[in-house]
Amino acid sequence: MLAALPRELLSSLRTALVTLGTYALFFARLVAGAPPALVRFGLVVQQVHNAGALSLVIIMLSGLFVGMVLGLQGFDLLERFGSEESLGTAVALGLLKELGPVVTALLFAGRAGTALASELGLMRATDQLAAMEMMAVDPVRRVVLPRFLGCVISMPLLAAVFSLIGLFGAQLIGVQLMGVDAGQFWSQMRGAVEVDDVMEGVVKSGVFGVACGLVAVYEGYHSIPTAEGVGRATTRTVVIASVLVLLLDYMLTAVML
Amino acid sequence: MPRQPSARADDCVVRVRGVHFAVNARPVFEGVDLDIRRGSVTAVMGPSGTGKTTLLRLITGQLRADAGLVEVEGHDVSRLDRAATYAMRRRMGMLFQNGALLTDLDVYENVAFPLREHTRLPERLLRHVVLSKLQAVGLRGAWRLMPAELSGGMARRVALARAIVMDPELLIYDEPFVGLDPISMGMVLRLIRRLNDALGLTSIVVSHDVREITAVADACYLISGGRVAASGAPSALSASEREDVRQFMHGLPDGPVPFHYPAPPYLEQVEEAR
Repeated sequence: MLAALPRELLSSLRTALVTLGTYALFFARLVAGAPPALVRFGLVVQQVHNAGALSLVIIMLSGLFVGMVLGLQGFDLLERFGSEESLGTAVALGLLKELGPVVTALLFAGRAGTALASELGLMRATDQLAAMEMMAVDPVRRVVLPRFLGCVISMPLLAAVFSLIGLFGAQLIGVQLMGVDAGQFWSQMRGAVEVDDVMEGVVKSGVFGVACGLVAVYEGYHSIPTAEGVGRATTRTVVIASVLVLLLDYMLTAVML
Repeated sequence: MPRQPSARADDCVVRVRGVHFAVNARPVFEGVDLDIRRGSVTAVMGPSGTGKTTLLRLITGQLRADAGLVEVEGHDVSRLDRAATYAMRRRMGMLFQNGALLTDLDVYENVAFPLREHTRLPERLLRHVVLSKLQAVGLRGAWRLMPAELSGGMARRVALARAIVMDPELLIYDEPFVGLDPISMGMVLRLIRRLNDALGLTSIVVSHDVREITAVADACYLISGGRVAASGAPSALSASEREDVRQFMHGLPDGPVPFHYPAPPYLEQVEEAR
């Protein structure tokens, strides 16, 4: 058994490298096909609706609760140093630079990513993709690319909504409930938060959109056309996208700090 | 030696010569030869798992043969690049087993799909073409229904309308009768013959509904054991004395095709499980 270990390790490593390679090739194909796909913008808009607009409720609710928790925890912490007026700054920076993009991406992977992967998987299982091939229509161009672009466009918008609602939630708790001065709350925030901080969140959410979209369409498009295969593709989408988002978050934070 | 329908090369839309194909080292075809004559309805029959659908995939360029030649209109399919394969497919229509309708589009948009992708027809003309195809399959009234609202037979007929909307020269049917009630089956059967003759098509029908398909086919190929076991006019196949052909054509439970999948002796297997 021990003797077999290196061979199994080698085999796993090779499988991982092959998967990484096919991911890279698929991504290159998507990037190359993106400009012509944008010409048929109606298809992309439809997917922005499916991936973005339909995720709004869960994003807004989560944003509100995360903001309220930040308000409570932040107030409790800052009160110990007598600087509860800085609550707005602390919450804004936390949401814009970190929690907004990351939590939105994790929710996005769970809501829109799984929906996309299972939709594409079922399209393969029911021969819809093969039928397109037979009609001389490239399914990557017609089906996959608009969905991928829909994710890339939706994510920054959703992250912005999450952060805004989160700020409102923090204000609700900090100002309305705990009695922090509203003027201090907003003015300190305006003074401390800079354009670079906002841009950090925008860049992160854009990158996370690419990551979540790529994982979802890749897993769905390459799923085995059975009930089990589609289920596995859906699970893999959540797991891979979530881990990838956290990994990319660390890397981007390290670069942009 | 199976009898091949005689045909001149230029009279054939599809020519298959000595095709070998294997999946995971398991041979599916070991030297298949067949000709699809222009203007004919040709039935490709055979027991389940003999590779009938695989043969269609080879003809349409979805798969490449390991050896041998697959020609469509004189072009070697295995040598076509992506653009040429797509150009070839624009002259083909294919009806999938389950219809394969796009589930997010209604009946009208499903039929209009190839036109919208490949042409810039004005909406008024496109509407005329789509409705005329739906009329041909008897479903003009169902134009606003979604695929989930259609019965199996209706979905198959919508898929047929979609398959002919680009006026193809070759129409391929993959198991078009599976799961259909007798009325729907009769409708699809009649449509296959009528469309073929009215539109001047060439049709390939993969099926194992022997009685139904032989009633409308001009020629039949029976595939078994990776080869063409028999070919010719439907009446010739029905009258064949060959055991394997007789077993298939008359649905006999006993014959060269065994009922049991190969297995070790029963007792040995029971003991093994203990």
